[in-house]
Amino acid sequence: MKTQKTILIVEDEKSLRGAIVDILRLKNFLPLEAKNGREGVELALLKRPELILLDLIMPEMDGMAALTLIRKDAWGATVPIIILTNLSAINGHALADAAARTPTHYLIKSDWKLHDIVKKIEEILEV
Amino acid sequence: MNKKNTISASDEIISHLKVLAKEKEVVRRRLAVTAKKLAVTAKKLAAIAEEKELVRRKLAATAREKEVVRRELAVTADKLAVTAEQLAATAREKESARRRKLAATAEKLAATAEELAATAREKESVRRKLAVTAAKLAVTAEKLAVTAEKLAATAEKLAATAKEKESVRRKLAVTAEKLAATAEEKELVRRKLAVIAGELALTAKEKEVVRRKLAVTAAKLKRSYETLEKKVLERTKSLEMARAKEEAILLSIGDGLLATDEKGNIIFINKTAEKLLGKKSKEVVKKKFSDVIPLEDEKGALIPLEKHPVNMVLVTGATTAALPTAYYKRKDEKRFPMAVMATPVILNGKVIGTIKVFRDITYEREIDKAKTEFVSLASHQLRTPLSTVNWYAEMLLAGDVGELNEKQKKYLDEVYRSNQRMVELVNALLDVASLELGTFVIEPELTDICKLTKHAIREQKPQIDAKKIRFSFSCGKSVSRIQADPKLLRMVIQNILSNAVKYTPEGGKIGFSITVADKKNVLMKISDTGYGIPKNQQDKIFTKLFRADNVRDKDTDGTGLGLYIVRSIVENSGGKVWFKSLGGEENKGTTFFVTLPLKGKEKTVKVVRINK
Repeated sequence: MKTQKTILIVEDEKSLRGAIVDILRLKNFLPLEAKNGREGVELALLKRPELILLDLIMPEMDGMAALTLIRKDAWGATVPIIILTNLSAINGHALADAAARTPTHYLIKSDWKLHDIVKKIEEILEV
Repeated sequence: MNKKNTISASDEIISHLKVLAKEKEVVRRRLAVTAKKLAVTAKKLAAIAEEKELVRRKLAATAREKEVVRRELAVTADKLAVTAEQLAATAREKESARRRKLAATAEKLAATAEELAATAREKESVRRKLAVTAAKLAVTAEKLAVTAEKLAATAEKLAATAKEKESVRRKLAVTAEKLAATAEEKELVRRKLAVIAGELALTAKEKEVVRRKLAVTAAKLKRSYETLEKKVLERTKSLEMARAKEEAILLSIGDGLLATDEKGNIIFINKTAEKLLGKKSKEVVKKKFSDVIPLEDEKGALIPLEKHPVNMVLVTGATTAALPTAYYKRKDEKRFPMAVMATPVILNGKVIGTIKVFRDITYEREIDKAKTEFVSLASHQLRTPLSTVNWYAEMLLAGDVGELNEKQKKYLDEVYRSNQRMVELVNALLDVASLELGTFVIEPELTDICKLTKHAIREQKPQIDAKKIRFSFSCGKSVSRIQADPKLLRMVIQNILSNAVKYTPEGGKIGFSITVADKKNVLMKISDTGYGIPKNQQDKIFTKLFRADNVRDKDTDGTGLGLYIVRSIVENSGGKVWFKSLGGEENKGTTFFVTLPLKGKEKTVKVVRINK
């Protein structure tokens, strides 16, 4: 059996984080949890996960700031990041920011099923 | 064999046997110990079994608690639905109150303008009549004075004649006296002559009386003329007072007020207008209104003359013309949003000018923006608990944490689907908010409208089949790809299509066709045999959060946002949307028409693609 892929979940809402962790474990991934952007950046650089799920609106440090910091790192520049948020990509600024920082995907939580998110992850990681 | 050896061997065996016996004894004792230990272990196992039973019971209790939590979640979902409806209701009320207010203000202003015009008209006519009367009186008085003079002259002449006659009479009397002595006839003549003389004297007296009477009349006439002149003066003064008062009222109105003549030249602006425009009255009066107040649109482009309310009133004779959002740049370069309304001033059925009312709506704009941002943020906050319910229900339904029984599945499916509806509602609210904020990114590209429509129809297939609706779709061969934003175009098609499906009863018919309308436009036509739109509500059907009464009763699913979104997108893309419906008559159906320009609109915001 090959080693489990590590996924970092950066999400401040405990219930949502719990659901993602559960489904990832079920699908044989190794989830790591961070409850704000600052923790997310620290954990990302320390553990270098295969993929990062990143919320945008969070206390202490928001997702955009975290994304910028991760992308500055040599390893972080290429790690696949899925922005998983409930903020619609309607705001011109947010969209341009997101585009400039080359995230892999931008998904709206309430529009996406957990299983489809997992499929997306499997697609990206070619599991 | 050596006997000694044999003995020693048997001794060895014996001693060996003894050793074995001893070892056995040791083993036996150990076995006894082990047996005791086993007994202890058995007891422990029993205790563990008991504990496990306890744990199992606790687990059962936990399961019960979870059930309670699940119920609470359902309640929360209900509450959210109520909150969303209240939000919607509040938005509706505010919108209608604002409209009512605007309409009322416009009516009042129009009424005031008309009243003022009427008053001015009346006063003008009174003033004219008075002037005419005064002139007539003056003429009459002059004539009378002339007559009096003539009469006086006549009287004097008569008096002179009388004097002459008196002298003649005297001369005759002398002659008579002379003659009297001589002849009786002469006496007779003399007497007759005396009588004549007497008569003449009498006539002279009468004439004197007439002359005096005439002089009195002339004096009276002069007096009445003077009183009249005084009255005219007084009246004129009070009219001037009233005019000054009216002018003061106009000057002090809190909105900017500007009046023009029938050619559009400014004849009056009030103080508020001076302040708003940053220009003094004397700088602008007699100048063309469009030179004084150049209006800009949101992007700073000059609004063409034909769209100016004043011009619309003057040229088309519209009763009111409004420009709800224009911008005016002051001399100090400060730009502010302005609401403008113009009404004609009508005198004797003829437009003699316009009154334009305008005001600074910066504050209203800020409130609007804050409101929209609130909706956007609230939508985001609402989505978080909805996502939670979604994901956990999804995992339960998928059997990720164990199989559910049929009833549990059914209940959970209800929860899941209600939650989905809530998600849709929040999404629609968010779309509306961003449409109103103007942050919708329009990203036109060559789009295959037929393919996109087919895709949308496929999405609706389950609902179409469930209602046994006969569905026909045709896409003209000459319909080429059009320049449009596919995600917005999809929203338009989805909304109109899902409305047709939603509001057509079982066994009905829906037709969807796409054709080329003319060289520049493509036409979509969606007809159904549904409930129709009541006649008295047809003008409101594109209004935000409005739902017609006849479908409100039948279907509780709608958000009242779909057609509002459709119209916003279509009109922003340079197209048109309208419909035909036999209102009030049930099941006669509705047909919606949408035209979209083939070439689309210029890209408004440059955006880098993102995947979804």
